[in-house]
Amino acid sequence: MTTTATFTPSRQGSVRNRTAPATRHARPTGSVPRLRYIVVVLAGIFAIFGVQLMLSIAMSSGAYEIAALKGDMRTSQQELQIVAEDINALVAPSTLAGLATAMGMVADNNPAYLKLSTGEVVGEAVPASGKGSSLMFAVTGGGDTPATPAIVEGVLRSVALAEAPIEEGEPVESTEIVVAPEPSTPVTTTVVAPTQPLSQKPAAPVKRFGGSIPSPVTR
Amino acid sequence: MTLQRISGRRTALTLLVVFLVAGFLLTRLVDVQVVRAAELQDQSESVRTTTETIWASRGPIVDQFGNELAVDVDRYDVSVDPRMVGDFRRSGEVVTLGVAISEIATITGGEYDQMLETALEDPTAHFVYLVKGVTPEQRQQLRELQIPWLQMDLVRQRVYPFGPVAGNLTGMLGIDEPLAGAERLYDECLRAVNGSSVYQKGADGVRLPGTTVKVEEPIHGGEVTLTIDSDLQWYVLQQLAEHGTRLQAEYGSAMVVRVSDGNILAAVDWPTFDPNDFENTPTQFMGARVFSSPYEPGSTMKSIGIAMLLDAGLTTPDEGIVAPGTYQLSSDHYIKNMSVSDARQLTTAGVLHTSSNTGISVLASRMGKTQAHGYFSKFGFGSETAVGFLGESAGTLKSPDNVDTVTRFTQFFGQGISVTSAQMAGAYQALANDGVRLPLRLISGCTTAEGGFVPAPTEEPVSVVSAQAAKDTVNILETNVAQGPLRGILEIPGYRVAAKTGTAEIANASGYGGERVISLTGMAPAENPEYVVLVSFYKPQVSKVSSAAAPAFAEVMSHVLKHYRVAPSSEPAVLPPLTW
Repeated sequence: MTTTATFTPSRQGSVRNRTAPATRHARPTGSVPRLRYIVVVLAGIFAIFGVQLMLSIAMSSGAYEIAALKGDMRTSQQELQIVAEDINALVAPSTLAGLATAMGMVADNNPAYLKLSTGEVVGEAVPASGKGSSLMFAVTGGGDTPATPAIVEGVLRSVALAEAPIEEGEPVESTEIVVAPEPSTPVTTTVVAPTQPLSQKPAAPVKRFGGSIPSPVTR
Repeated sequence: MTLQRISGRRTALTLLVVFLVAGFLLTRLVDVQVVRAAELQDQSESVRTTTETIWASRGPIVDQFGNELAVDVDRYDVSVDPRMVGDFRRSGEVVTLGVAISEIATITGGEYDQMLETALEDPTAHFVYLVKGVTPEQRQQLRELQIPWLQMDLVRQRVYPFGPVAGNLTGMLGIDEPLAGAERLYDECLRAVNGSSVYQKGADGVRLPGTTVKVEEPIHGGEVTLTIDSDLQWYVLQQLAEHGTRLQAEYGSAMVVRVSDGNILAAVDWPTFDPNDFENTPTQFMGARVFSSPYEPGSTMKSIGIAMLLDAGLTTPDEGIVAPGTYQLSSDHYIKNMSVSDARQLTTAGVLHTSSNTGISVLASRMGKTQAHGYFSKFGFGSETAVGFLGESAGTLKSPDNVDTVTRFTQFFGQGISVTSAQMAGAYQALANDGVRLPLRLISGCTTAEGGFVPAPTEEPVSVVSAQAAKDTVNILETNVAQGPLRGILEIPGYRVAAKTGTAEIANASGYGGERVISLTGMAPAENPEYVVLVSFYKPQVSKVSSAAAPAFAEVMSHVLKHYRVAPSSEPAVLPPLTW
């Protein structure tokens, strides 16, 4: 190719005569592009190797990053699951009822409504009798009563702490949740007894339930 | 010359050594690269290649508000290698085996002695479980103990966050397969298939890039939505437990159905079981008796009978009849009333109000067996409800050919016919819905993991009786609450309630024994019923009359009205005359 490149466009004389000196002359001038060519090719090869190495390194470190992120995702998913389990335990109807009872609420089963537009009472407002409302009944036949989830116990305790000491010396109403006896076994079992003795009155006024969960004291 | 010769020999020797070494290396090269290439490749890959399970979640079962009744969670099985168990160093200090085990026991709430025994029982064993199913929180705490011989493996566990609240409906998952309830009925929707991924990993456990050769994507399960309202379900369960315990009943069932769409808002069985702990529960407390246990309903069936007679034009609410003290069927068979022994002048409304067996027999004599059978069928008796629950019973409705002269009459007051609580609630739904019985629904459908919703199969509404006949019947049932002996218990201030009591004798081998099923079925508000409530107790011991079931019914009904913010009745009831 280089030879062809240096071929002079003169059409006179034999080819042989011209070719010989042409080649002889071309060598010094042709060796520079050839060297350049080699250098370029080698540089290219090295560049490719270099880039490949870089990519490989990047991929490896990427692999570590992926592994770390996957670990993070797993941890986050589990944290989400832990929180979801806690929420499920807290929104369980039995928990809500237990909390309400612990806070001294009683069920009023007589529906009556206040119409805001007219101020009219719809239905017949009958005061809550509170009968039977402090009782929670065992509903399973046989088997053990399942343990109360830790978070629920924590909240119950915090409620009990907030509820119990109102005035010193005043007897505190029992907020026990009693499991009613089953037909076969007439034994009353106390599953949760959130009532605290008066002596355990906390020094600082304690927020009612609604603050942080399940910490009993908020500062 | 000598020098040259020596140098020539040396060269030759060197060359020889070079060739020998090169030859050896070449042989090795060919051996490794060509001859044993495949084998070695396999060996190295098997060391690096690992198969990872990609866990798929079994779909949750949720109530109508999306509260999770059954859900998959991560748990860990903690195991040890007994050969490795012993003292170890933690940040330079020696921790004894005893201390380590007691730490584990404290975190997992296990028994120290038992764990120690397990760990030391067979020192040659390679693997033994110390405790199964610890939570991710506990696992984190266990990891912080830095015990070198402790192994924790991820497992998926099914939990039922609300415990026994809907255990009868969700059923439970056994080790490999669902055992009961919606878990089993809708397994196809819920089921998940774990995926797997095959890849090579480095010495430090990191996945080598570009080596993942096979990925089986996990197939997550779909979500099953029940029509249940968990809060209501829990409340009704508490009421059944309270009153069932008081009555010393063997069991109790209750159902709340929304009239407008036939959705079951609560289907309750007491005593029930906790699906988280079903291994420790006697089998008779599992399952949904509300669907599976038929009983002869007794007088609650009279409302159905009266509606049939009204629809067929065989009577009117204010028609006066004479209900004899004893209704003679043949020389050996007669029908009498539960308490009244003399003849009374009752209207048709009065017959239902006083729950007169003889009165309804007088009226029942006007309807042929085949016609009655047609009505009973249309009310849904004798066939499973549209729910098609696992183990659901169709009850017993005799074909017209098998109905004898006695049964022909007794069917009208709920003997010689057996029904499930679900069927009875469904029939009252028809009365409440102007005579059109909507198929009961317990399961709304399945939401697939891709997000598509597949509604549960259902049936066509059935027009059972005319709107007028249904309205008239409900109107008569209102008298039971407004004017009956249970008025003080059943009346809910501000609302018009329609209800019917039932005291059914339980048949045994020698006829009807002393045991009873007491029940109340009703609806409110009577002028335009929105909810049907059924409460029944099986074999109560303290009181065997239906009035004993009234407090539970009243509590549930008033709770339903309050819970769903039903507007109190505005128009006063116009009640039919009961006597003439």
